[in-house]
Amino acid sequence: MAAVNAELRFEHVSFSYGTVPALRDVSFSLAPGERAALLGRNGAGKSTVLRLVTGLVHPAEGTVSVGDWDTRGRAPESLARRVGSVFQHADQQLFARSLRDDVAFGPRALGLAAAEIARRVDTALAALELTAHAAEHPYDLPPAFRKLAALAGALALEPAVLVLDEPTAGLDRPLRARVARALADSAAAGVVVLVATHDLAFAAEVLERSLVLDRGRVAWDAPLAALLTSSERLAPLGLAPPAGAALSAALDLPGRPVRERDVAHALARVAAARGPV
Amino acid sequence: MARLTLERVSFWYPAMGRPALRDVSLAAAPGEVIALVGNVGAGASTLLLVAADLAPRVVGGKIEGRVNFRGRGKGEGGRGIVLPTPWTQLSGMAFTVWDEVAFGPANLGWPRERIAGAVDRSLAALDIGTLAARDPATLSGGELQRVVVAGIVAMEPALLLLDEPTAELDPEGAGLVWRLVRALAGDGCSIVVATSDLDALPEVADRVVWMEDGVVRRIGAPALLAEESVCEAGLATTVADVWRTARLGAPYPLTVAQAERRWRQ
Repeated sequence: MAAVNAELRFEHVSFSYGTVPALRDVSFSLAPGERAALLGRNGAGKSTVLRLVTGLVHPAEGTVSVGDWDTRGRAPESLARRVGSVFQHADQQLFARSLRDDVAFGPRALGLAAAEIARRVDTALAALELTAHAAEHPYDLPPAFRKLAALAGALALEPAVLVLDEPTAGLDRPLRARVARALADSAAAGVVVLVATHDLAFAAEVLERSLVLDRGRVAWDAPLAALLTSSERLAPLGLAPPAGAALSAALDLPGRPVRERDVAHALARVAAARGPV
Repeated sequence: MARLTLERVSFWYPAMGRPALRDVSLAAAPGEVIALVGNVGAGASTLLLVAADLAPRVVGGKIEGRVNFRGRGKGEGGRGIVLPTPWTQLSGMAFTVWDEVAFGPANLGWPRERIAGAVDRSLAALDIGTLAARDPATLSGGELQRVVVAGIVAMEPALLLLDEPTAELDPEGAGLVWRLVRALAGDGCSIVVATSDLDALPEVADRVVWMEDGVVRRIGAPALLAEESVCEAGLATTVADVWRTARLGAPYPLTVAQAERRWRQ
């Protein structure tokens, strides 16, 4: 799906809001197709990382690059050729008269041909099962659907990097599952997926790597499953295991699965082996 | 005497043919925590707007049925709502978090010392004392959500209405809010909260209201969140859902602790 594949790289990045430091010496890189969770307490710097990726702000020190593009030389509208983003409260950011027009805004701004815009919009709406709502006015739909529409708009850019801030806030289980599928499909097509979230249950379903920020520094960078199965690692980072992982640990299930369906399968296997519960 | 009563309430948003609430009846007693659960479009947010007297008074639309609210009397203890969009709830009049939280109490005409006491207690309850001197405009989404909750709680409402109050909070922040909800209920406040944090509810809610398409489907104890019909609707706790997917048989455990007890038997 991505027009180009590109690595996302932070090298020794620091950033402050006035005198309030937000990030200190942050380094990591994400390869095409990697799906990473950006975790940490409120105020740890997660949203700042996402703003740096989209070029809304630029590093005070260090470098943020998307493939061979240094973000410093580029405005957000230029970076939008490679970076799609959905920010917190995206449901408030729609402005067109129909969902379809809203999703088409990005591809239009990229100057694409009409047929290509139509193809991308159809694909993005279908990826989030919004096709039936395409003609509706965004504000006639619940905020959760507008949030999905904002994600569709980001997908329609066919970016190399997709960054999302709390994409599941306010979404119910069926809608979360749609977002999960869309992100998995994007990653499979080589898109770098970086999701700032407190929803560890959602993260466990979709994401594989975890980057945890603590007071502006990277305090953990390793597979998400290794983090979620360890209360000793989670607690000092201000995190708590999601219920599926907690159940897995409490019942000492083999392999300590963290995805809910994997927990259910492990539970069923062990239960079958030891007779009726 | 119930603090909030809805009797056969139906509500239509402006220019909408379908009602967002249909024939909803509900009563909240002093000290009671009621959780509204439902999928998107179920009507939980609308019910809160009606209970807050914002719908139809502010948002427009049409209402049928009766909504009755009784405060603590003598103008004390009104109703406060925390919307799911915290940045829309800032006064825009305050350059520090402390002043922002004081804005509501100050508008109640309280004496200065009482305002200061209420603000400090509220900041402490949400563990944001360290943010007191910050400009609200510089806060992260989760910090802002705590500030807005603090501002409402500082007004010492008799009825507290919360719409997804933990959606943007880290686990520590969410835990603080849920503990605060229980503490306020302990002081006699009635709380109605719409939330998708279903796993928190066994410890937080006295009653759970399952809504679907603007209608109240069921009202019951939190154990409702492990019932088959609720599982089918996608509104069970994670543990109940996992237990059901594993086909281990009903009744499903509601929490990790319950599952552990069943497993060890």
